[in-house]
Amino acid sequence: MIALLGYLGVLLGLVSASTLAYTGVRAVRRGGRVDESVRWSVTGLALGAVVAFAALELGVLTHDFSIAYIARNTATTTPFVFLLASGWAALEGSIVLWGLMLAGFTWVLAGKVRGDDRLGVGALAVMGAVAVFWFGMMASVANPFAICTEVVGGACASSSWLPIGNAVAPLEGLGPNPLLQNHILMAIHPPMLYLGYVGFTVPFAFAISALAQGIQGKAWLVRTHRWSLIAWLFLTAGIILGGWWSYEVLGWGGYWAWDPVENAAFLPWLIGTAFIHSAIVQERRGMLQAWNFVLVIATFALTILGTFLTRSGVIASVHSFSQSLIGPALLAFLVVLLVSSLALFATRIHLVASSPRLDSVVSREGFFLVNNLILTLFAFTVLLGTLYPLIIDALSGREVSIGRPFFDRVTIPLAFALLLAVGVGSIAPWRVAKPQILWQRTRGGIATGLVAAAFAVVVGVSSIPVLGVIALAGFVIGTIVGFFLRQAGARRATGSGGREAAWTVFRNDLGYWGGQISHIGLALLAVAIATSSALAVRGQLQLAVGDSGIVDGYCVRYDGTFQEVTPNRIVDGSTMTLLRDDCSTFVAELAPRVNRYRGASQAIASPAVHTGILEDVYLSIAGGSSETIALDVFIFPLQWLVWVAGGIMILGGFVALGRKVRRRDTLPVTAPDPEESRV
Amino acid sequence: MSERARNLIVGAVSVAALVVIVVGLAGRSGPTVPTPQARAYQLEIRLKCPFCVGESLADSQSGVARDLRVLIERRIAEGATDQEIIDEFVANYGESIVLDPGGKRWGIALWALPVLLGAVGVYAVVRLRRPDETPVDSEVGSR
Repeated sequence: MIALLGYLGVLLGLVSASTLAYTGVRAVRRGGRVDESVRWSVTGLALGAVVAFAALELGVLTHDFSIAYIARNTATTTPFVFLLASGWAALEGSIVLWGLMLAGFTWVLAGKVRGDDRLGVGALAVMGAVAVFWFGMMASVANPFAICTEVVGGACASSSWLPIGNAVAPLEGLGPNPLLQNHILMAIHPPMLYLGYVGFTVPFAFAISALAQGIQGKAWLVRTHRWSLIAWLFLTAGIILGGWWSYEVLGWGGYWAWDPVENAAFLPWLIGTAFIHSAIVQERRGMLQAWNFVLVIATFALTILGTFLTRSGVIASVHSFSQSLIGPALLAFLVVLLVSSLALFATRIHLVASSPRLDSVVSREGFFLVNNLILTLFAFTVLLGTLYPLIIDALSGREVSIGRPFFDRVTIPLAFALLLAVGVGSIAPWRVAKPQILWQRTRGGIATGLVAAAFAVVVGVSSIPVLGVIALAGFVIGTIVGFFLRQAGARRATGSGGREAAWTVFRNDLGYWGGQISHIGLALLAVAIATSSALAVRGQLQLAVGDSGIVDGYCVRYDGTFQEVTPNRIVDGSTMTLLRDDCSTFVAELAPRVNRYRGASQAIASPAVHTGILEDVYLSIAGGSSETIALDVFIFPLQWLVWVAGGIMILGGFVALGRKVRRRDTLPVTAPDPEESRV
Repeated sequence: MSERARNLIVGAVSVAALVVIVVGLAGRSGPTVPTPQARAYQLEIRLKCPFCVGESLADSQSGVARDLRVLIERRIAEGATDQEIIDEFVANYGESIVLDPGGKRWGIALWALPVLLGAVGVYAVVRLRRPDETPVDSEVGSR
C-alpha cells in the first residue's frame, strides 16, 4: 500500500514536471504571463514530491520491509533519529530527498513569479525540465518503492520494479550502513549539502532562461543573488559539518582527506563562490556578463558531477556506497546538460560578449577578477587531480592513485594567493585604486599581520609556512577591521556617537560587511587549518589497565573498560584520564570506544576528544589485546577554530542576505545603481 | 593625526615585529632531524591503503593499514630510507600504491595544465583592461 502510494507520488511529480516544462515554455512564447496551467504543474510537482517523501518515511518508521529499500537499509533496532535519516541516507532515498528539495525550491520560486515575467516563467520551465530528470530516475533506475518479491536467508533477495503484485517481507531489515548510524551529524550533513546542490539549480534556471530568450542585462543576476547566497550557505555548512563528522567519527584524527567525494562537494563550492563574487562585478560595473553564465552553468554541472561521483562508485571512495544504473543515468544527464547549455551559450555569445573593460587591474573589480582566476584555477586543479587516475586509466590502462600529497602541494600556494587577494581586494576602490589610497587602507593590516606573526614566534611557532599563514590572516583581518573603523570614524566626525556610527556604517551595507565577516572567517580558517595540521603531534601508547603514558605535555592513564549493549550495537569503551605531564593534574575524563553494529563486519572506532583553549587532545583506540590497549593520541593545536571559523563564514553569508531586502528586483535594471557611489 | 605620523607608527611597529620574528627564529636550532614517528607519518600519507577504498595508510582504520603502519615504523627503525620503503611498497602492491604523482612522466599534465590555465587566465585579465591608457576620473572609488 505504502509502496503504491509513494510510487503514485513519484509519477505525479514526473507528470507535473513534464507539464511544467511544457506549459512554462508555452507561457514564454505567449509573452511571459504565468497562467493557471503553470501554477497547477508546480502544485502537482510539490504534492508528488511530498507524497513520495512522506510515503517513504512512513514505510521506514513503520518498518514496512516489503519495500526493498527499507528492508536493505533499516532495521527494527535502528534508533529513531537514524531511522528517520534512513529515509534519505541511502542511494534511492537520497534521490527522493533531492526531488523534494527541488520541488520545494520550484514552489518558492513560483510564488515570486507574477504577471508578465518572461524571465521567471522561463526559469520555472527549466526547473521543470531538471525535475523531469530527477523524478524520471525515481520512477525507473532509482525507484525507492520497488517491492521485495523473494526472501532468501532472511534478507530481501530480489525485487520487482513496479510496486504491484505479491510482496514478501523479511522479518527484519539489514539496518543502515554502520557509518550512517554512528553520529548524529550524519543525519544533518547530507541534507545540508543537498540543499546547497539543489539551490544552485535556481540561478542556473534563470541563466538558461535569460540566455534562451536573449534577455540581456543583469536582471537574472539580481533576482538570483539571494538564491545563490542561500545555496552557498547550505553548501558551506554541509562541507564543514562533513569535516566535523569525519573528525568525530572516523578516528584518524583528520577532517579532510582530499577524498574524491569531498572534492566533489568542494568543486561547486569553489566555482559557486567565484560566481557570487563575479555577479557583484556585473551588478556594479556591467562587466563579465559572459563569464557569469559560464560560472553558473559550471557550478550546476559540478553539483551533478558531484552526485555522479558520490553515487556511481566510478572512483573508489569511502562515500560511494553502491553501484547501479543511477551512475550511467547521472552521467548521461551531465553530458546532455553540458552539451545543451554550452551550445545555447555559444549561439547567444554575441548578446553577452560586449561588456565594459577594466580601467585598471589594480581596482576592486580587478581583484574580483584575480579572485575568480584563483578560485577557477583551484577548482580546475582539484578536478584534474580527482579525475586524473580515470583519465590515465582510460588512455593507457595504467593504474595510478592521486591523493593528499598532490593536493596539498598545489593548493597551498593557491590558498596563499587567495588570502592576499582577499585582503587587498576587499578594500580596493572601484575602477582605479591609487597606490596612495591602497597604502592608506592596507598599512594597518600589514602591521597587524607582522605583529601576529611575531606573537606566534614568541609563543613558540617555528614553522615558516604556518607563520606565513598567520601573517596573511592578520593582514586580512587587520585591513578589514581597520577599514571599518576608518569609516565609522569618518561618520563619527559628522556628529554621531561612536557606537551609533559603527552600527550605521554596518547596517547601510550589509552585503559588503557580511562578505567581510566571511573573509575574516576564511582567514581564521586558514590559520586553524595550518596550525591543526602542520603543528599536530601524533603519538601512540600501549597501555595496560592502570598504566599511564606521556605524549607531548599530556599524561594519559588507562583506568578500565566498559561495555554497553543496545539493540543495534555493542560498544566496547575504555575509560581514560587525561592529566598534565606531571601525571597528577587532572584535565579530563575521556572514553574512546569501538562500536560494533549488528550485521556489520567492520568495527568503527569512535574517538574521544578533549577540546582545550589551545588544542584538542584526540584519543582513538587503534587496537589491542585482552591485556593492553593500543591508543592513538593526537594533539591538534587550535582545532576548535576550524569549526568556529567555518561558523563565522556562514554568519557572514547570513548577514549578506539582509542586503537584498532594500533593493529587490523591483529596481529597474537600467537605472543607475544607487550604490555605485558607495564603498 | 597626520598621514606622516600614521606612516611612522605603522613603520615602527612593523620593523619591531620583524625584529622579533627574525631574532626569535634565529635563536632556535636549525632544521632538526624529523623523529621516526614524523617520518612514518609523512610516508603514511603518501601511501594508499591496499584493499581500502580511497584512503591513505595514515587515514585508514582498517587492520591492514594498522599492520602496514607498524611495518613502516619497523623499517624506519631498521634504518631504511624513505625511498627504500616506498620502493618496497611499489614492488609489493604496484605503482598505484603511491598517492603522489611526484615527478613521474604520466604526471606531467597534472602540473602543466594548471600552470597553462593560470597563464591563460592572467593573460585574459590583462587583456580585459582598457587598451588605451585614458585617464579615468577615479572619484567614484576614492572615498
